[in-house]
Amino acid sequence: MAYRHFEFIEKHAWTLGILTAVMVSLGGLAEILPTFVEANRVKSTAGGKPYDPLRLAGRDIYVREGCYLCHSQMIRALRFETQRYGAFSTAGESVYDRPFQWGSKRTGPDLARVGGKYSDAWQRVHLMDPRTVVPESNMPAYPWLATTRVDGTDIAARMRTLRMLGDPYTDADIAGAAGAVDGSTELDALVAYLQGLGVARESEPARTAAAASPTIAGTSP
Amino acid sequence: MSSGWSWWVIGLVVFNLGVTFCLFVWAPRARVPTLPDGTTGHVWADGTLREGMHRLPRWWIVASLAMYIMAFGYLVLYPGFGNHPGTLDWTSGKELAAATAANAAKLDPVLHRTAAMDVEALAGDAQARRLGERLFVDNCAGCHGRAGLGNPRLGVPNLTDGDWLHGGAAQDITTSIRDGRSGVMPPWNSLGEQTVKGLVQYVLSLSGQTYEADSAAAGEPIFKAICTACHGPEGKGIAQLGGPNLTDAIWLYGGTQEAVETSIRDGRQGHMPALGARLSDGDIHLLAGYVHHLSARGNSTAR
Repeated sequence: MAYRHFEFIEKHAWTLGILTAVMVSLGGLAEILPTFVEANRVKSTAGGKPYDPLRLAGRDIYVREGCYLCHSQMIRALRFETQRYGAFSTAGESVYDRPFQWGSKRTGPDLARVGGKYSDAWQRVHLMDPRTVVPESNMPAYPWLATTRVDGTDIAARMRTLRMLGDPYTDADIAGAAGAVDGSTELDALVAYLQGLGVARESEPARTAAAASPTIAGTSP
Repeated sequence: MSSGWSWWVIGLVVFNLGVTFCLFVWAPRARVPTLPDGTTGHVWADGTLREGMHRLPRWWIVASLAMYIMAFGYLVLYPGFGNHPGTLDWTSGKELAAATAANAAKLDPVLHRTAAMDVEALAGDAQARRLGERLFVDNCAGCHGRAGLGNPRLGVPNLTDGDWLHGGAAQDITTSIRDGRSGVMPPWNSLGEQTVKGLVQYVLSLSGQTYEADSAAAGEPIFKAICTACHGPEGKGIAQLGGPNLTDAIWLYGGTQEAVETSIRDGRQGHMPALGARLSDGDIHLLAGYVHHLSARGNSTAR
């Protein structure tokens, strides 16, 4: 290869652009493409069940309100994360998330296993005005969720679309969707969604740590 | 990753390293035609800007070459070259397990010590309190508040007042944390507006607040017939059932006439989640010690 080849690349913007793109793509082609193509092998860890209608509505509200901008749903395989939030997240937990809600920034805490950590009443009050339960919180209030109803026919349409993409909804599931969310507010839906997060796979490190810890004074075995 | 994709990755890695190697071989030796003044002849802005010609500095080549060689070392030691697991057999799962074990080794002596102490002793131990406070802030403060003062909006009890819904013994506190608690005050609006008002006045009379005597007298027999099942014959509460004491000045949802009326008419279903699945027994023990400390400290400052 001689200098004139390089001079050619340097003087032809399209050639330079295409060759640059090729070199820059190598990392992505090696790291992203194989897992992307083999993603269909990942099986759900939630017992193979996609979101029920109310939680599906809640998930879409979560996306609409941009919750992912401040909350991640991705517990990384790092000790200080598993200790605080529970077992690290796995691909199988995001199978029915379109798009996934892993997030990339934590202004608030990770929510991957928040289901059941607080009561339903707490979640409601907290979404209406976070300061009434956590005075230090800088999370915005979402009062309009309590006054907006979930649209049942819309949810059925979304479930049909998700079925086309491979989610195992049955005809009965879709037919029952409108009835299942009838009369629910967006607040109900979002709370149902949050209370389901991470419930299918409870934190294992805490359990194993418990098994290893010595007998506690004052507790009869 | 299937072997087909493994070879795909290997191909890309070899291609990338190969191209880089060719550049290392060629670039230092490349003959670049220059003009007598040492520039390349590339000009901009009508000749004001001219492109000079310099060899790559030696330090730059040496540093790049070092990084290039390190890449081979990395691919041998760590996963990256297709399905080759690396001679160190490193995985993120193993690293997590090692980090968890290292942390446990640090904490275990402390946890052994605190596990052998009873809850009252934990409350008096500075190290146990520090650990307990961490756990409290992360798991309890959302509802009980950082200082443990509770929240009447949700009927979350104040932990510093020395008054206990389900009992304040070590075992009671531990059970509350591990298994959670659920309030089960049913709504009594079916009794009719007049009866509810009578009950409200009678309940206000129990705690020594101002009340309407006639209305309270009408409410008393109904209270004795229904409410005593959970609140006890004298309205002093039953800890085994979590029925609150109505004769003191401590209220979960507020003790005003309006709040009491809402509680009776609509019922109250406060819920404390079970933490047994989230925390180890050792952590729950530490938390119980910290909660005991909060209540003991609250009592001493109240006096």
